[in-house]
Amino acid sequence: MLRKATPRILAVSLVLALTLLLVATAAAQGAPVERLRIGILGDESTLTPYTYVTGYPGWNLLLLQYDTLYQLDLDGVPQPWLATGATVSEDGLTVTIDLRTDVTWHDGEPFTAADVKFTYDYFRAHPEAGRFARDLRPLSAIEVTGDAQVTLTLTAPSPSLALGTLADVPILPEHIWAAVETPAEHDFGGVNIGTGPYKLAEYQAGQFYRFVANEAYFAGAPLVKELVVVQFADDAGSLAAFRAGEVDMLVRSVAPEQIELLKAQEGVTIAQGPLFTTQMLNYDIGRTPFNRLEVRKAISLAVNRQDLVDTIYLGAATVGSAGWIHPASPYFNPEVVTVYDPEAARSLLDEAGIVDSDGDGIRELDGEPLTFELLVNGGDSLRLRIAELVHEMLLQVGMDAQVAAVEQGTWEEAVWPGFDVTQGRNYDMAVWGWSASVQADPIRISQLVHSDPALGSLNLTGFVNERADELSAQLNSETDPAVREQLLDELQLIIADQLPFVLLLYPDGAYAYRASVYDGWAFMNGQGIFHKLSLLPETARP
Amino acid sequence: MSATVPPLSQSQQHTAGSIRLLARPSLRRFRLTTSNVTAVIGTLLIAGLVLTAIFADVLSPYPPAERVGRPFARPSAEHLLGTNDIGQDILSELIYGTRISLTVGVTAALVTITIGTAVGVLAGYYRRLGSILMRLADIVLVLPFLPLLIMLAAYLGRSLWNTVIIIGLLSWAGTARIIRSQVLTIVNQDYILAAQGIGATHRHILYHHILPQVLLLATGQFVQATNAAILLEAALSFLGLGDPIQKSWGTVLYWAQVRGAFLTPAWLWWVLPPGLLIALASLGFALIGFALEQVINPRLRHNR
Repeated sequence: MLRKATPRILAVSLVLALTLLLVATAAAQGAPVERLRIGILGDESTLTPYTYVTGYPGWNLLLLQYDTLYQLDLDGVPQPWLATGATVSEDGLTVTIDLRTDVTWHDGEPFTAADVKFTYDYFRAHPEAGRFARDLRPLSAIEVTGDAQVTLTLTAPSPSLALGTLADVPILPEHIWAAVETPAEHDFGGVNIGTGPYKLAEYQAGQFYRFVANEAYFAGAPLVKELVVVQFADDAGSLAAFRAGEVDMLVRSVAPEQIELLKAQEGVTIAQGPLFTTQMLNYDIGRTPFNRLEVRKAISLAVNRQDLVDTIYLGAATVGSAGWIHPASPYFNPEVVTVYDPEAARSLLDEAGIVDSDGDGIRELDGEPLTFELLVNGGDSLRLRIAELVHEMLLQVGMDAQVAAVEQGTWEEAVWPGFDVTQGRNYDMAVWGWSASVQADPIRISQLVHSDPALGSLNLTGFVNERADELSAQLNSETDPAVREQLLDELQLIIADQLPFVLLLYPDGAYAYRASVYDGWAFMNGQGIFHKLSLLPETARP
Repeated sequence: MSATVPPLSQSQQHTAGSIRLLARPSLRRFRLTTSNVTAVIGTLLIAGLVLTAIFADVLSPYPPAERVGRPFARPSAEHLLGTNDIGQDILSELIYGTRISLTVGVTAALVTITIGTAVGVLAGYYRRLGSILMRLADIVLVLPFLPLLIMLAAYLGRSLWNTVIIIGLLSWAGTARIIRSQVLTIVNQDYILAAQGIGATHRHILYHHILPQVLLLATGQFVQATNAAILLEAALSFLGLGDPIQKSWGTVLYWAQVRGAFLTPAWLWWVLPPGLLIALASLGFALIGFALEQVINPRLRHNR
């Protein structure tokens, strides 16, 4: 009996195996997924360029419906998208952009050069969408110069045009928006016409968004047919829903202490990678003792960055580079070394004559003890822990950084009054951090270090250095990428040596999803996995 | 009048004799009754906590601010209640936390009672000033308590002192009204009238005849105020409005919450113990408070 049955079993299992193999290959090639549910925190309103709420994930959701002329690839480098390429004139002031001709709007109308001109003019005429009006600041004029060509005239050469403007501003359809006079209040009837891979099909305020795929998308039909974006009130709620299988992916990075727990759960995958957000120590360089380079160097030597990463982030962070740029960034200068050596910090202070003369464990500078306030936003628990540990580490080298936890508003107002560095600063030392966008565009390093507030608009520590001023001014007008990289390299070395701030660490992004539902997620360097490329077939990604 | 101070109308019905008893409660009345048993239990609980607070250095296995283990460690022989998110020993945090929680509770209660007694005595003795002070008390009483507390805490900033002051400033009104009603019954007594008749100063009467009569009542209020203050401190700290660097029971709970212990098995050793300590302290003070009230409050004593 058994022997007789064997060939049949063999045949059946062979067929089964073949089917499985086929299914597996299909999945690997990106067979469409019917429905994907993802969780976000809070409401993002009607998701037009004038109503979306947050930079992340609001802007990312916006760009599911709209496209930009350039699109960041997975390395975070802008590549032609609605454009096919751009040429920059010799003097850097004229940029000619060629456009695709095979793109249509969601309502079937063809996308043209006139739409691009209309959009750029519209955002400048209606500056309420602050981000896009700001993006277009380098622009003095835009003209349609061909069937599928626009020409931009700039006020000054702009090395970050592709990243900061072309890859950031969503293109709007002229035939819809020409009639819109008050964009923030305009009622589009819940229909956002764009060129993007998804159309908004349903929106319930405070509850969810439902997007359907744009099957005619020029880059290729999206892999997910229906995308449901569920809104949650807080982290705990979204996490519980994810664990219960009510959503298949969380847009917000998972807290370090939850990573191991989620990994242990059946079917959950965590995509972990570098983010360009920062945790750092700022100080007022105009004040004693921070006006002394030895003191700044001693602080940088005394903080054990690895310990901060291991203890507070449980390893889910990258040790800070004293030169500002993330080691995973293509612009990182490997010559920058960041050292932890409390012994060296102590001898540096000893040699500078900053010693503990009264035996209380705290050193004195000109008779004044090295006691200062370490300001921290009390609402941010991880930053609070960083402050506590920094206090402990600085105590080891004879400095007393007294942690003061205050409200977010108080903290911002002390470090960055009115978000305007010309108004000065009112703090000793603070735990601070910049969002990813400040580092994603390497040119913005000049804003951190230039002594003139017009250029150094993020120079919160009052850093003044002649060479840094020269280099960062040059960086802002240099259009040759090779020269730019040299300038960036030298600037990183200056920052690591002169310490306008002490960079502590870069938190990693950790995104939880269920691979069984959808496995196409791709980590974009420094930006995470939630972006439109993650939902497109690999062949469509630039 | 009776609507604003309900105890007054009834206590006025008592004879002069029963009111004099209130003045000198004799310990002979302290027989072994249910109320005494609760008093003993309450006293034992609080005594235990006070001893823990005093001998925190000896009792706790590690310095509470020192990182002595790996973060998020489960309970083990080295760390009976595990470690917190940066590797500090939770048991040591709680033992030292007893010191801070009790200190904040007692200090805040002292502030409450001082203000409450002063306002109550003055309001009972000087009628006109009294009506102004009582309207003030009414305002404090009708303000939505917790939201105001949270707003004040956010406005004044995070420190232990601010926590104490905020609690004190917002909880004196009840005490003031009880004390005032007591004073109102005293000022009409013959001996007060006599003292006024022979020309004693207000100050003399307040210090020598009135204040001593209300101190026992104030003590009872103090115990209840301590109870309330400990709970409020825990609530404020848990919401992140206390000083997050100071280790009180509430801040231990705060860190457990922000680092996700409520969602993991860690609630068993990180959330439950501080919760139990708060409950025990509250129970202890409440039991003592009940027992004291039986002795002090003329209405309750009369009914027994």
